Amino acid sequence: HAALSRRYVLCEVVSEDPRCRQCIEDRVLGLAIRDAITRVHGDYGLACCSISFTVKYLNAYTGTVLLRCRKDSYRLLCSALPFVRHLESRGQRCPCFLNTLHVGGTIRTCQKFLIQYNRTQLLRLLQNCTNEEERQCIQKSLLSCSLTEEQSESGDEEDDDGTE
Amino acid sequence: RGPAGRGMAAAAFERRVLRSAAEHHYLRVRLELPDGGARPNAAQFKQLVVTALRELHGEVGAALPVDVLTYEEKTLSAILRVISSGLVKLWSALTLLGFYQNRRCAFRVLQTSPFLLALSGNSRELVLD
Repeated sequence: HAALSRRYVLCEVVSEDPRCRQCIEDRVLGLAIRDAITRVHGDYGLACCSISFTVKYLNAYTGTVLLRCRKDSYRLLCSALPFVRHLESRGQRCPCFLNTLHVGGTIRTCQKFLIQYNRTQLLRLLQNCTNEEERQCIQKSLLSCSLTEEQSESGDEEDDDGTE
Repeated sequence: RGPAGRGMAAAAFERRVLRSAAEHHYLRVRLELPDGGARPNAAQFKQLVVTALRELHGEVGAALPVDVLTYEEKTLSAILRVISSGLVKLWSALTLLGFYQNRRCAFRVLQTSPFLLALSGNSRELVLD
């Protein structure tokens, strides 16, 4: 019995255009990635990767995206991600690029990596603060993070302050 | 190991078997264009092969090093050379190509071999008098 193996690809959407945040939706991203796979790997690549391909998780504030695909075709998917150059949504076309952060076998490993990554990113943002106001702002929002016990596993959104 | 004979040191020999070691694969193909329209020239033929690769395997497929070694416009047959790792991609792309300039067409692969010399004889088309 061969188990159905999947790979989860964690990436982030990086853009200089502030309107890009609105374009980060699962359908928009799914279409853009499928289009890139078709261009790079053709009909065969698209069919291969489309088997159990979904956008599992999205965070428009940080631009974090979690994709799922088959283990046999994750290399096709990962090699096509650098070819996503625009996101089109509601008549808007924003240039951007996808940065692959981590490839894991389960959502849990990707989540662990993401938590660690967000921690280091916050530290970096704190160091790159240009003025005291921003620093105070970040420190305040960090200290006010809390874990709500009602929901099953959701933590607080760790927003960045928008100055990418 | 060779047998040791009469006090001499045993002659050691080593046997190496190389599987699929050829760098290139060669295909003899024929393009069937059932309508009696204009025949493609060599450049258009190569473009057709690359287009077939691009449709099925994308830009990565279209970048596969494929060479048209010979081309006969009269019979629309050619000898293609492809890097061995790309044989499956090329053959599948040729198989699934259906149209040339909106005209129905089909590729027939007549012979394939890792050795070019093997394409010179074809026992299928041998005529025994």
